[in-house]
This record gives sequence, C-alpha cells and structure tokens, in this order.
Amino acid sequence: MKTVDILRFAATALVQHRRRTLLSLIGVVIGVVAVVSLTALGEGARRYVTDQFASLGSSLLIVMPGKNETTGGFPGVMGAPNDLTLEDVKAVQRHIPQVLRAVPIALSTADVAHLERGRQVMVIGTTPDFRRVRDLRMLAGRFLPAGDWERGAPVVVIGRKVARELFGQANAVGEPIRVGGWRMRVLGVLAGQGTQMGLNMDEVVLVPVATGLRMANRTSLSRAILEVHSVADMEAVKRRVIDVVIERHDEEDVTVITQEAVLSSLSSILQVLTLVVAGIAAISLTVAGIGIMNVMLVSVSERTSEVGLLKALGATRRQILLIFLLEAVLLSTAGGAIGLALGWAVVELGTALYPAVPASPPAWAVGAVIGVSFGTGTLFGVLPAWRAARLDPVSALQGR
Amino acid sequence: MIHLEDVWRTYRMGDEELHALREVTEEIRDGEHVAIMGPSGSGKSTLLNIIGCLDRPTRGRYRLDGREVASLDPDELAEVRLHRIGFIFQSFHLVPRLSALDNVELPLIFAGMPPAERRKRGEEALDAVGLMPWAGHRPSELSGGQKQRVAIARATIMGPGLLLADEPTGNLDSRSGHQVLEMLSQLNANGKTLLVVTHDPSVARRADRVVVLRDGQIVRRVEGRSVSDLATLFAEDVPAP
Repeated sequence: MKTVDILRFAATALVQHRRRTLLSLIGVVIGVVAVVSLTALGEGARRYVTDQFASLGSSLLIVMPGKNETTGGFPGVMGAPNDLTLEDVKAVQRHIPQVLRAVPIALSTADVAHLERGRQVMVIGTTPDFRRVRDLRMLAGRFLPAGDWERGAPVVVIGRKVARELFGQANAVGEPIRVGGWRMRVLGVLAGQGTQMGLNMDEVVLVPVATGLRMANRTSLSRAILEVHSVADMEAVKRRVIDVVIERHDEEDVTVITQEAVLSSLSSILQVLTLVVAGIAAISLTVAGIGIMNVMLVSVSERTSEVGLLKALGATRRQILLIFLLEAVLLSTAGGAIGLALGWAVVELGTALYPAVPASPPAWAVGAVIGVSFGTGTLFGVLPAWRAARLDPVSALQGR
Repeated sequence: MIHLEDVWRTYRMGDEELHALREVTEEIRDGEHVAIMGPSGSGKSTLLNIIGCLDRPTRGRYRLDGREVASLDPDELAEVRLHRIGFIFQSFHLVPRLSALDNVELPLIFAGMPPAERRKRGEEALDAVGLMPWAGHRPSELSGGQKQRVAIARATIMGPGLLLADEPTGNLDSRSGHQVLEMLSQLNANGKTLLVVTHDPSVARRADRVVVLRDGQIVRRVEGRSVSDLATLFAEDVPAP
C-alpha cells in the first residue's frame, strides 16, 4: 500500500466533511498565526533595540562607579566605593592615548517648567563631546558650549518632546525655563532621535556636567562614556582604565563594560521574552491538536462500518492506522501551511504599518511551527487511529 | 477447500455463555455452490464470518486450503481475506465518497499495486459486471442492483477462490436480484467456490447443496435434486422473508 494512495483516501474523507475539516483547520491556523506573528514581534523588538545600540558604534566603553563583582565581603563592610569624579575622567583621558573622547555623565531627575506648563524629565549633565558620542543632531539652536568642565553655566539643551510640551509650536531657543529650582536659558532643541541606550532622547534635558552634579547634589558622576580609537584596543583600554583608577583610588572600585556586553545581555533578555511569547502561542497549537483528536475520534466512530469493510477487504491493522493517522497529519499540516502563509501576511502588514520595528519571524520559529503542526497531527492522531485499527471486524461491519 | 471440525463460537454475556455455533463440522469442496439457511439468530452469519476469517472459532478447527486459520494472527488473517476471499454484503458496503471505480480498486490499494495497473484491472472488473459507463458515479447515484454489481466487481478483483455472500439479494427487487444471482452463478461456473447465506428459498435453490442451521447447529443437509424441492421441504424451518 503506497503512502500516496493512503493520502488520497484520507483527503477524500476530509473533503467529504468540509465543515468539520474547516473548523478544525481554523484551530490549527489560529495557533500557527499566533506563533508566527508573536515571535516575529518579539524578534522585531529585539532587533529594533539591538540596532539602536549598534548604531552607536561598538567602540564605546562605559565606566561606572562601584565594583560589580563580589570581593568576598558584604557591601558596606568593605566601605562605600569612592566617587567617580570629573578629575578621574580627566586623568583617564590624559593617561590613555587610545581614548578619543571621555564624556562624564551625571544623571538626575527634575521638574522642568515654562510659564504654567511643566513635567518631570531626566536631566543629563554632560559635556559637548556627548553629542559626538551619541551622534545627536540639533533641531534648533546649538549644543552645550565647550569650556571648563567645572564651570556650571545655567544653560540647557532640551529634547524634542520636552520642547513641544513646554513651548508648543513656539520657538524655544533663548527662552528661560526652570529646571528643578534653577532658572536656565534654552540653548537648543535636539532633533528626534528616539530611544538610545534605554533613554528616550526626546524626553531629556541636557545641562553642563558641573550644573548636573550640583542639581543632583552629588560629587560622583553616574558614569563616563569613553570612545576608543579602534575596536581592537577595547580590552587593553579597559585594563588601562582600571589601572588608572586603582592608582588614584588605591582600589578597584569601578566597573568597565563594553557596549558589546550591554548589547548581548539586552539581546538575550529580549530573546527570552520571544521564547515566552512563543510558548504561550504554542499552547493554542496544543488546543488545536486536541481539536484534531476530537474530530478524528468522531470520524472514526462515524466510519466504524467503513473500517469493518476495509478489514473485510483485507486491510491490515497497520494500513487502517496509517489511513486515519495520515488524515490527522494532513489536517494539521494543511492548517500549519495556511497559518504560516497567513502569519506571514500579518507580519508583512505589521511591518508596512510600523516600518521602524523590523518584525520578522525567526527561522527557528518557522521551523518549529512546521514541525509542531506536523507533530500535533501525529501525536493527537495516534489515539483515534489506533482505536480504528483495533476495531473488531465483525462488530465494525455492523457499525457497532 | 473449507474444512470445519467441531467448531464452536461462544459469546460471554455476563455470567451466561451464548453458543452462536456449536459442533459445526462441515466440508466444502473447491468450486462448490453451497447455501446456508436458517432462521435469524441461527448462527448463519457467524458461520460465514468464521469462514471469511473475520472471526475465529472459540473451539474447534478451521482449515482453509489446508491452512489452520485459528492459529493465524490478525495481519495474516487480513492477508487471507485480501487474496483468497471476496465478500458480498446485503447492504453493499460501498464507500460513499468514492466513485464506483475507486470502490472496485480498494483491495488493489491494500495489495500495493501501482496506480496504472490498478486502473486497468479496475476497469476490466467493472466492465465484467457491465458498469463501465458508471465508473465515475458515486454509490448514491447508483441503483441497488448496480451497487451490488460494483460490490461483486470489488469482491472478485483480487481473483479469490472463495466468494462469500450474505443475503446478496436482501435489499434488491426481484429483477436486479435475479441479475445479481445470475452473475454469482456464472462466477461459480467459472470455478469459484460460492457460499450464500439466505432466507430466500429461491436463492438457495440455485445451490448444489443447502446447509440448514438452527440454534447454532447444522440440523439438515440437502443435496442434489432435492434442493429444488426446498420450499416445500423446509417450509417450517425457513420462514418466508
């Protein structure tokens, strides 16, 4: 008995019960569409975020105060970490020639207000090089002025959204605003940049680093970004930075991470998210599988006398098993194929509507869907098929 | 050659044992035409099922062409049914969604014959029962007589030596019933062993031999010329259908 013949026979049974076939197909299709589109969304989010990071270049090092490793003692017992100061950053730039730019950053939050409009924003205290490192563009006005890092001028560069919320369509450059308790003058407005490194640059304000430190009422920087000449030097520079800090602080109390490390951990977090979403979607595929089993059980009991006849004609148990199993597999695989096509269409539609998110189902998800929908038919088809194969020919012929 | 020796078929109904067949000993030679008669519940169909290898005796021996059938496993029994036995049922048992030709070809599919050869054999078999013009029709588009002729084509397509017919004319009018019986007689004349279970004396009268069952036992055997007097002989055993 050829598989092709069994397939043809199974297909005639499915065609005969169009409505039932259609309904159980829909179950599989929904499950597959869910898996394809949701994993595509997760994958799109992952790529969107990692692309954003990658666009910043991979030649950046981030220096953060505090040692991010256990040294055997409890936090506090070893003493609080020393500040990461502006002097430290200057020293790093001075002693390590491979460091192209060293950018100090002091983060805080504050209320900004202009006339009666206000909101809370993230305040980034930094230096003019921040613009180069982050590749920021200006919508209007100019960026923070060059000059002594210690000098905290009352000037501010505001994100696009902040400008829109405080000034509407009106010109913001040159206008006074309040940041925290401070009166400042707006130097410029950033062009739309979207989210970078977890910060939406449209919703921040930038001030000179000394101003930022004073506003945060701190002496320690939040971090420093170092741009290195060549990617090949990254590891060497990382070690040199730690050496410089040890020399100044007498202990290793900073953490230096590469852009790469941030990127890969973020990427793996989002990948887990995609997997979780895929798992949830897979549940609907399982439900669809149970639907198939149901349909096949009904099909077997409806066609009991047909099974009896096939047995009388000389079909073996294996052949009967194959007939019903292939019917289930045909059903689930057809559902998988239709679902894949439909899911693809959903993803295409999504990317057409939101081109910023490069949604596309990962290859593993497509492979898994094909495998799972085939496997679903097999798994949930076995019981009904086995039941058919085991029927006693005499009672089956009588339809019992 | 069919050889039954002290065959019993017992069903267990709770604590009771129900003997559908008891002490059946019978020999049917190749090429014979035998009718099995008896009131309903007398075990005719059970006997036919055992001879047709759909069922196995609870006790006793059944040899088909010298092979002990009781010892065969389900797949070997399927093999015997495929190659040696053709079934014809009262209710035709055609697969409703398949065309007449596809129905006839079913046993060839189980035998693993390639499609081209299958088609040729199927068409020959359908032509032999005069239904080639209806090859593409579904069973629902055929008359009762035509359905039974499709079933005969299907039963004979593997060239079995033994044809088993269970009330083959039970659902047919007398004209198409006659046609079907003629066809079966012709197959018997061409050398096939023919076993017909029937209520109908006019069907049984065509046989060389009649075996009468009652309560699972063979109560009478009629042979030769006496067969034609059957209606009068067994009026009390065989109620009119």
